[in-house]
Amino acid sequence: MPIRKFELTFDPDIVSEPITYRIVKDYDIMINILRAEIDDQGGRLMIAFEGSGPQILKAVKYLEENGVQVQELKEFIRKDDTLCTNCGMCVSICPVQAYQVDNKTWKVIFLNEKCIACGMCLDACPPGAIKLRAQI
Amino acid sequence: MRRTYEEINEKIKKGDAVVMTAEEVIGVVERDGIDEATKEVDVVTTGTFGAMCSSGAFLNFGHSEPPIKMTKVWLNDVPAYSGLAAVDAYIGATEPREDGNIDYGGANVIEDLIAGKPVRLRATAFGTDCYPRREIDTFISLATLNQAYMYNPRNSYQNYGVATNSSERTLFTYMGKLLPKYGNATYSSAGQLSPLLNDPHLRTIGIGTRIFLGGGQGYVAWEGTQYRTTATERNGVPTGASRSLAVVGDLRGMSTEFVRALDFQKYGPSLGVGIGVPIPILDEDMMKCVSVRDDQIFAPILDYAVQSRNRKPMKEVSYAELRSGSVELAGKRVRTSSLSSYFKAKQIAETLKRQMLKGEFLLTRPVAMLPAERAQMPLDLHSREEVA
Repeated sequence: MPIRKFELTFDPDIVSEPITYRIVKDYDIMINILRAEIDDQGGRLMIAFEGSGPQILKAVKYLEENGVQVQELKEFIRKDDTLCTNCGMCVSICPVQAYQVDNKTWKVIFLNEKCIACGMCLDACPPGAIKLRAQI
Repeated sequence: MRRTYEEINEKIKKGDAVVMTAEEVIGVVERDGIDEATKEVDVVTTGTFGAMCSSGAFLNFGHSEPPIKMTKVWLNDVPAYSGLAAVDAYIGATEPREDGNIDYGGANVIEDLIAGKPVRLRATAFGTDCYPRREIDTFISLATLNQAYMYNPRNSYQNYGVATNSSERTLFTYMGKLLPKYGNATYSSAGQLSPLLNDPHLRTIGIGTRIFLGGGQGYVAWEGTQYRTTATERNGVPTGASRSLAVVGDLRGMSTEFVRALDFQKYGPSLGVGIGVPIPILDEDMMKCVSVRDDQIFAPILDYAVQSRNRKPMKEVSYAELRSGSVELAGKRVRTSSLSSYFKAKQIAETLKRQMLKGEFLLTRPVAMLPAERAQMPLDLHSREEVA
């Protein structure tokens, strides 16, 4: 089953809707909440959907019809390989092991599909090779 | 068997020398034994690339018209020390910008100079009869400087402690970002490739030894600061910080591939420096030294939540364990990160090997040896009488 990651933005007036429950129950999608924040601006949810292609599309449509802004997270972090020194500082910082050392070449590899957009690596990279995609 | 520096250099000049990296030679020793490997190999190359905070560069700007004796100097707003004659300055790697913005510092200035970028020079002076000018604001670059040489008081540390954090909050240190409750552990040595771990008692490395420095050629100038010989040894190599080198080399000829500004969040700038040292295989004892492996080199794990110079080692772990990705600590698996780049260390050892095979890099016998015994002293509060 394909996994796709989304950032959902809610207005304050729909924060109380049980949206994730509906996605699981009505659209049969396996969800994984990566990050969730609520403040006076509303709510923000980083979420991974695992389900068939049509199910995910229907779920996204349901969200949009209910006033949730949906943006697919294709690439949150980018590692600039011209700046990366391949030290490996990021490797033990990443909670989902999206950074790995190839122990043949000793290069540090970033696996975008594993990234959950937590941002913990952003202030950990000494040569400043890791940046938010939005800042590039 | 015995070999001399002169014999090896003759072979290098003729293109006949057998040169291997400290990683490659491990396999040869395992296969053929020490005696055979000694006969086979003339030189072993080492390498390391890591954050070396005690680094900097001497610069001579040339004389302005009318001349100035600079008392305060800023390079891209980073203060440089200029209490040296009129137009000499020393830019230190960890010096941050004066505006409180610590993500740009002396290390960045050095990297910018090597990259050939323009750097803004500002200086003030009190004015003298021989140096009447009181201020200057101009641009310099590596091409406009008379001399520009790196002089790093402490580089290429022989081993170093592993950092972890027992506290409840994330710590930002020169050993990188340390997650709470033993969330990770960071280490910083090239281990089996590291120069001073392959010649642990510095039989062949001393004052005047020619080295690979930052992409160019440099020399060992002196014992490094905080050089000490008192660390306990395991398998013939010290566990924990021990000897170090002061090195010198021209910025011209260096490359940003091997000299890189690093920014440690909430700690400030540091300089990533690449160093490689060739080790002549003078006899079987030298071969035994260079065949040291990551599983034979140990480092203590230190808790950086203890804000003291007397951190008690939690345990000792080998570089083989550290490089495996995690170590056992406080009853759990703790993930590890290297701060020094093994990738670049290998690249340096291989570059040095290539240069020697092509006859471009010759060995030098040390002019003088570094101390065989040296203890490291702390800084304590003393009265005038106590230190007299």
